[in-house]
Amino acid sequence: MRLRTDDDIYRARLVYLGPLGYTLPIHLPYSQYGLFVLLVPMFMIVHYLFTFKFDLFPAWEIALAMVATSYIFRHVDPDRPARKVIHTALTDWRRTRESSTERREARLIASRIRIRESLSAKDAL
Amino acid sequence: MSSPPPPPSDSANHPDDEHEKPDVSTVPPGAVAVFQAPRAVRPGGNGKPNGRPDIESPFLDLFGAEARRPRESTVEGEVVGESPAHAVPPNGVERWQPAAAPVSPPPAPQPPQPSQPPESAAAAPPAAAPAHRRRKQHKPKPAPAPDAKRPKHKERDPAQDLAITEIAGHLTYTPNTVTAWYWLPEVRWAFRPDGEREALLMAIAEQYAGLAGFRLHLRRTTRPFPADEWARTVDQMTPAPLPTVPGAPSWADHLVAAQHHLLSVNHAEGQTYLGVTFARRSLGDTLTARVRNVFGKGVADGEHKRMARMVEQFDEVLGMFGMRGRRVTAGELEWLLYRSVALCMAPPAHLSPVTSGEWERGDLLALTEQIERYRTPYGSTVKLVNRLTGEERHVAILAVGRMEPLEIPERHEPWLHFHERLPWPMEISARVDILGPGDSFRNLEHRLRMIRSQQLDYAEHGMDAPPELERLAQRALHLGDEMTTGLPIDASRTHGWHRIAVSGANRDECLERARRLIQIYSRELRIALQHPKNQEWLAREFIPGEPVANTGYVRRMPVKLFAAALPQAASTVGDRRGDLIGRTAGTCRRPVFLDLHFPMEVRERSGLAVFVAEPGGGKSTLMGALGYLAARRGIQVTLLDPSGPLARLAAMPELRPFSRVLNLTGSEQGTLAPYALIPTPLRSHFPDGPGGDREYEIAVSNARAERRMLVQDICSMLIPPQVARVASTATLLRHAVREVPAEEASTMDDIVACLRNMDDDHAHELSHLLMDTAEMPLAMLFFGSPAPSTLGSDAALTIITMAGLRLPDLKIEREYWSAEESLALPMLHTAHRLAVRRCYGGSMSSRKLVGLDEAHFMEGWRSGRSFLVRLARDSRKWNIAGLVASQNPRDILGLDVQNLVSTVLVGRIAEDPEIASEALRLLRVPVDVGYEQTLASLSTVDTSSSARLGFREFVMRDVDGRVQKVRVDVSYVPGLLTYLDTTPAMAAPAPLDGHVAEPEA
Repeated sequence: MRLRTDDDIYRARLVYLGPLGYTLPIHLPYSQYGLFVLLVPMFMIVHYLFTFKFDLFPAWEIALAMVATSYIFRHVDPDRPARKVIHTALTDWRRTRESSTERREARLIASRIRIRESLSAKDAL
Repeated sequence: MSSPPPPPSDSANHPDDEHEKPDVSTVPPGAVAVFQAPRAVRPGGNGKPNGRPDIESPFLDLFGAEARRPRESTVEGEVVGESPAHAVPPNGVERWQPAAAPVSPPPAPQPPQPSQPPESAAAAPPAAAPAHRRRKQHKPKPAPAPDAKRPKHKERDPAQDLAITEIAGHLTYTPNTVTAWYWLPEVRWAFRPDGEREALLMAIAEQYAGLAGFRLHLRRTTRPFPADEWARTVDQMTPAPLPTVPGAPSWADHLVAAQHHLLSVNHAEGQTYLGVTFARRSLGDTLTARVRNVFGKGVADGEHKRMARMVEQFDEVLGMFGMRGRRVTAGELEWLLYRSVALCMAPPAHLSPVTSGEWERGDLLALTEQIERYRTPYGSTVKLVNRLTGEERHVAILAVGRMEPLEIPERHEPWLHFHERLPWPMEISARVDILGPGDSFRNLEHRLRMIRSQQLDYAEHGMDAPPELERLAQRALHLGDEMTTGLPIDASRTHGWHRIAVSGANRDECLERARRLIQIYSRELRIALQHPKNQEWLAREFIPGEPVANTGYVRRMPVKLFAAALPQAASTVGDRRGDLIGRTAGTCRRPVFLDLHFPMEVRERSGLAVFVAEPGGGKSTLMGALGYLAARRGIQVTLLDPSGPLARLAAMPELRPFSRVLNLTGSEQGTLAPYALIPTPLRSHFPDGPGGDREYEIAVSNARAERRMLVQDICSMLIPPQVARVASTATLLRHAVREVPAEEASTMDDIVACLRNMDDDHAHELSHLLMDTAEMPLAMLFFGSPAPSTLGSDAALTIITMAGLRLPDLKIEREYWSAEESLALPMLHTAHRLAVRRCYGGSMSSRKLVGLDEAHFMEGWRSGRSFLVRLARDSRKWNIAGLVASQNPRDILGLDVQNLVSTVLVGRIAEDPEIASEALRLLRVPVDVGYEQTLASLSTVDTSSSARLGFREFVMRDVDGRVQKVRVDVSYVPGLLTYLDTTPAMAAPAPLDGHVAEPEA
C-alpha cells in the first residue's frame, strides 16, 4: 500500500507578483508583505517614543522593516511558520545561541487533579 | 534558528546496529525490586554471583542503604540472609549522580516514604487540597545543589497546575474540553502475511475515519519490565529446584542474576493510549465546576452523566477489530500523567500498574511535584530533575517533518513503531485532528483555489508559471476527486503533529541519541525528523490536556497513513513463566521466556520443539542452555549429543553431583539392544475397566510392532547397502523378525540365529554379514542384552554422547561410507531411542526433557518416522518436552508431525534456498516474499571484526503461533557459555556476549 502525505499541496509557494501591468522585479510570498506592513508602524512607534514626532515618509522605518522581514523569513519554511519564529526570537531574545546557564521553569504539578474511579456518582472522591 | 549541529559521533556506529549497548539508565536497578527465591540458603558472606549486591541503586545513600532494601521480599515471609557487602554501592554509580547536584548522604537513614515537608509547601494551599495531598507532606527536602552551578531562579511561583482538573473514570476534564482515553493493546506485526497486515491497517484507518471531527492525542509511553514478578512466577513454578552445591550459585542466586540481567538490558514495555477530545464544555458547565470546586466537589454529576452517554459511541468504534481499544482506568491515567510530566524519567520505585498495591489514588500525581524543569535559551534539550531521587534527565523532542511516500506493509515498518529498534526507551505523542470527507474537501478546495489564482496571476503578468504549480493543482484535483467519490476511509484526512521524545543521562548523550534517531529515520524511512526550538513547550505537549506547542511541522495525511504509524505494534513471543533465554531482535526488544512444558501443561498441545539451523547456527548451544536451565529447575533432563561437547555441562559445579555422562562408544555390550529400547507399556498407566484394558492391549501390540520395525531397520543398516537393496533381503529379514518374539528380552543374536537356521543360502549369507559387523567393537552395542541399569532415572541431567564417532555425510551415497560411518547410522537411531527410553521410567506427570541432536539422520527410515511421531504423541501424556535439532526441516515436515510441533526455532540458513523455504513453512510464515533473506541474515558476522560472534539469532514460533526474531542470550548464567562453547578453543577467548555487558559487574 503506497501511502503519501498531502503536504506538497500545502507547500506550494504563493507569491505576490505586483499590481496588474506593473510586475514587480522581485516576487515575495504574501506573508512577507503582511509582516512588513505590521513592522513599519511598530518601528514608527518605537521612533516616536524616542523623538516624539512622526516622519511624513518613514524612510528609516521602512528600511528597518525590510531588513527585519527578510531576516525573519530566512528562518521560515512551510514547516516553521513566521509566528513561531518570532515567538522563539522573543522568548530567547537575550541569546543568539545556546547558553550554558539554565533557568528553572515552573514545575508542572498534577497533584490538584481530582480523581473519580468511574463516571458514576458514588465513587466520587 | 535552525538546530545547532549535533556533536560529532563515532563513525563506526550504525544507527540500527544490533550490537549497541542498551540504555540502562532509565531503570535504576534499585527502583524495581529484585525477587529472591525464598528457600535459598546462601553460603555466608560471598554467595552471590559476581559479588553483585542485590540492589544496585545509587540512591541507596540518599535514604540509607539498609532502610531502603525490601527485607521481607520472600514468598513465605522468610528473610533471606544478606551479606554486609550489599550496602556498598556498586561500581558505575557515578553516572547516576546528577551532574549539577551531587547528592550527599543524609545524616540519618530514612524510610523509603520520605517524611519531611517539601520546600514548596506554599505552592498548594493545604486547606483546599484533597485527601491525597496529605501524603505530599512526607516528602524530604531536595538535596541542596552546590553553589557553583546553581541555576538562575526566576522570581515567580515555581509551580503551575496542569490544564487537567479532573479525572473521572476514563475521562479527563480541562476547563474547556473533555477527553475520553482508551488503551490500545499491542498488535503483532512481524512475520505476518502482508494481506493480514493490510487488513489490520485498513480496519484501524476506518476507526480513525469514524472519529472525524475530533482531536486525538495518541501517546505511547513505556514501563520497565517487571522482572521481580516474573521471578516470583518462575519460583512458584519450580517446586523442587536442584539443591545448592557449596561454592556454586544457588537457585536464588540464579534467579537474582536473571533479574539483574533483565534490568540491565532494560526491556521496556510499551503502553499506548489514545485520547479523543470530544466535547467543548459550555460556559455553564465550567462555571458550575468552578463554584463546586470552592466546596471541594469538582465537576457536577449531571455533566458526568451526559458525557457517559456520549462516550459509548467511542467504545463501540474503538473496540472493534483493528485497535480493539478499551477504556483506561483512573489509575492508568494517573500513570500516564506522571510519565508525561516526568518525561522519560525512571518510574517511581515498586511501581507497576499491575501490582501497585501500595500506591493509593492520587499518590502518583502528588509525585509530579518533585519534578523540576530547566531550560536554556535556544536550548536543544529540556532538563528534568527529580528532586526526590536526584535523577537528572535531558530530553530532546523531535518533530516529524517532511515524509516521502511509504509502502507500509510491503517495504517499510510502521513509522511510529520504527524507533523501537533503537535500544533506549522513547516516548511518542501525536496530536491530530481528524477531518471528515466534507472538511477535508473544503480544506483542499481552498488550497486548490489559491494555486489556481497564483497560476492566473502569472498568466496575467505574462509570465511562465512554475511547473510545480500545475503539478500540485493536478494532484489536488485528483485528491479532491478521491474525496468526493471515495469512501470515508479514502476521504478522511488527519492534520496534526507527531513528536518523539529522546532522553539521555546528560545533554551530550541525549543529543547523540537524537542524532542517531534522525539518521535512522531519514535513511530507512525517508522521514526527516526535525529538532525544533522551544523544547520545553514541546515537552509539555506530551502531557494530556496541555496545549499544542507549536503550529509548525503540521503533517497532513490520509487516515490510512496515520493508521500505518501503528505505535502499538510489538513483538512479543514466548510465555511469561519460563526461563529467560534472550530477547527479541526484530523491530523492538522484549525479553523472551521459554517454558518447554507450557504447551503440555497449559495449552494442552504436544511438547515437541524443533530447532533447525545450518551447522554453526547455535542449535547445540541452545539445546545445552535449555537443558541446563531445565535441570536447574529440577526437571529430569536427558540430552543426546552425538558430537559430545555438551558433556562438559556435567562439569559445572552446580550440576556436577546431579549429572551423569554416558559415552556410548565406550559402553558395554547390549547397551543399544534394539528390542530393549522400546518399553512395554504398564497396565497401571491406563484407566481401569474394559476400555482401559483395550487401550493397554493396543499399546502393547503397538510396542511390539515398533520393535519389529526398529530391528528390521537396524539390520538393514548393518548389512551393506548393496545387499540391503536386494528384494529377498527384506523378505528374509521380515521373516526372521517375525519369528523372534518381539519382547524386551529378545536380542539381535536371536535374529542371527533365526537366519542361520533357515533353509536358504541368502539367509545364511545375511547371518554371516550380521556376525561380521558384530565383530566391530561398536557394533557389539547392538548384540546381547543390556545391563539392568544402564540409565537410572536418578540423575537430574543425563548426557548421552558418542565421542569420537564419525558421522557420515548424508549427501554421499551409503556405498561410499566407511565401516565406521555406516555404524554411526544405526547407533544414532538407537541412541535416540535410548534417550527417550529413560523418560518412561518414572511417573507420568513429572516433568521431563529430552534433547536430541542430529535428528536429520532419522530421515528416510520407517522407524525414524514412527519414533518422532511417537515422541510427539507421548509428550503430552508423559509430560515430556522433546527438543529435536536438525539441519534440515524436511524430515520434520515430511514426517507429518507438523501439527504436533509446538515450538520452532530456526537459525541461520543461508546456503540452501529450498531448506530455507521449508523452514519458513515450518514456522508458518509466507514463503517467497522475502523472508528467506531474513533467515540468511540471522547471526550475521560483522566482517570488519575479527572477534567471534558472541550471540546467535533464531526465528522463533511459539505455541501460540507468534513468530519473532530472537537473539539468544544466556550470559547471565555465570560460566554457562564457557562450558557450552562448541567451537574449537584454539582462538583467543571470545567475548561471551558481545552486545550486552555483564550488568555492572
